[in-house]
Amino acid sequence: MKRGIGPLALLVLLLPGVGYLLVFFGIPLVRVIYGSFVSRTGAGFSLDTWVSLFANPVYMDGLRYSLWLAVAPTVASLVIAIPLSALMQANETSRNVFGTLYKIPLVVPGIVAGFLVLIILDRGGMLSRILQPLGIPMPRLVRDDLGVGAIIASAWKNIPFMTLIIAGAMAAINKDVLHAARTLGAGRLTVLLRIQLPLAQPGITAAVLLTFIGSVGSYVIPSLLGPSYPKPLSILMFEQGFQAGNWPLVYAMGTLLSVVAIVVLLAYYAIIGSLGRQKPVGT
Amino acid sequence: MASRAKTSQRLVGFGLYAYLALTLFFPVAIVLLWAFYDPAVGWFPPDIVPRSLSLSAWREVLADRNILPAAGLSLVVSVVVTAVTGALAFPTAWALAQFPFRLKRLVEIFILAPVIVPGIVVAISLGEIFFRLGLTGTVFGVILVQIVGTLPFMIRILTATLEGIPAELIHAARTLGASPTVAVTRIALPLAWPGFAAGGLLTFIASFEEFEKSFMVGAPKVRTLAVQLWSYLGGEVLILPTAAVVTLILLTPMLVIFILAERLSKDDVMAAGLGKL
Repeated sequence: MKRGIGPLALLVLLLPGVGYLLVFFGIPLVRVIYGSFVSRTGAGFSLDTWVSLFANPVYMDGLRYSLWLAVAPTVASLVIAIPLSALMQANETSRNVFGTLYKIPLVVPGIVAGFLVLIILDRGGMLSRILQPLGIPMPRLVRDDLGVGAIIASAWKNIPFMTLIIAGAMAAINKDVLHAARTLGAGRLTVLLRIQLPLAQPGITAAVLLTFIGSVGSYVIPSLLGPSYPKPLSILMFEQGFQAGNWPLVYAMGTLLSVVAIVVLLAYYAIIGSLGRQKPVGT
Repeated sequence: MASRAKTSQRLVGFGLYAYLALTLFFPVAIVLLWAFYDPAVGWFPPDIVPRSLSLSAWREVLADRNILPAAGLSLVVSVVVTAVTGALAFPTAWALAQFPFRLKRLVEIFILAPVIVPGIVVAISLGEIFFRLGLTGTVFGVILVQIVGTLPFMIRILTATLEGIPAELIHAARTLGASPTVAVTRIALPLAWPGFAAGGLLTFIASFEEFEKSFMVGAPKVRTLAVQLWSYLGGEVLILPTAAVVTLILLTPMLVIFILAERLSKDDVMAAGLGKL
């Protein structure tokens, strides 16, 4: 039985955590949203900033590039995390050692992931040294237009996180179901596609969502590995703010990025809701 | 039949470790080569391995006036951030875990919001506000901005742990004459230890590796190790050997904590804070 509590006592308990976030998260966020609707002269409501944001190809390319740098690593890490999770279920013995080591990138800072990509995939890096004697030309993978280096660094960092959640969801599946399917003649691939993936689906959805949201505003990886054009909104925000002092535009870009993240979150809730599964995932 | 199963087990094991070798051991080996190559001889393409090794990059790093202070600063900031995050999170987590109240869902969503809204948005906006307040370029400002990122996870992990404490336990203590304060400090705090351990390790890691918020608020005066590493990776100049050494220094505490976390806490404690929305 849970006891009730007086409103004042409740407020006192909630205040340290919630109050801190109100001051240091709520105020800056409100300021960002409010600031994007104030006219440049500083007086009154205006859509000027938004009009100039949407009219300028630099920022629209920036928005597209931010989305690309979030979607591509998410897809890449999903494509790798699913087979990894399935293989981990299939092999009991390697799960202990592998199950510990594969998680190491979780604690590796994004900036170090960027460094690893630089020394391996940049021109003069290890891959080009290995390929050159074989006569294979090294494609440009760092500061390239598609942002391949940035995508690889970001995917590398997100694969363990995705695998952790997806393998957890797969491990929670009743083994009898898998055995039954196998006994009835289903191949391993059929079991994966028809049983494991659908049953792990809430976990997969959550992992995809969190990876996307974590990547859409990333700054350090594209700033080290991305091309000079287009630049994602995160970098444009920094340049326009601290270097050009064009704050209304920074606030509009910040609002736009936040809206993208929130829309993705709402889409996630819609998907979960339509599945009729309110069960928390990853547990 | 048994031998076929064994072969397939071996193949699976081989595949898993081949993946590790490619994505983990190979990159780390190259970092080590960069950290120990001899700049007097050089290491130019197409050499795959440097022709001779030396400790010169390490000597340079030790002599560099920026790096060791940056490492010390990172350590201090992370310890303070972890302690303050834990202290701020506990009462709120206690309220969320033990008492039903109206608008609880709203409070939970608000606490989750800093995880959803991209960190760069808050970092830049707080950077601008702190500039007006004179907090830019101060350690205090960096600590304040980092806690915005760590507090939500700590509250969620502690809440998940505290929900597991039966209310009867507190009830019994109260009936036997313990004051609310005593009931909380003598029963709830010790029982919340797994949550503090998991959340604390996660917070320490998040703070130690944090770049964007620290950079936007602290630069150019306050340089944590991650910010310092950025300046060697093309942020200011590109110095690969120094960057390799700083990377190794940066990774050491991460790996120690990682091993600690693996032994102390199960995945499900972390997953409780991370996986469910």
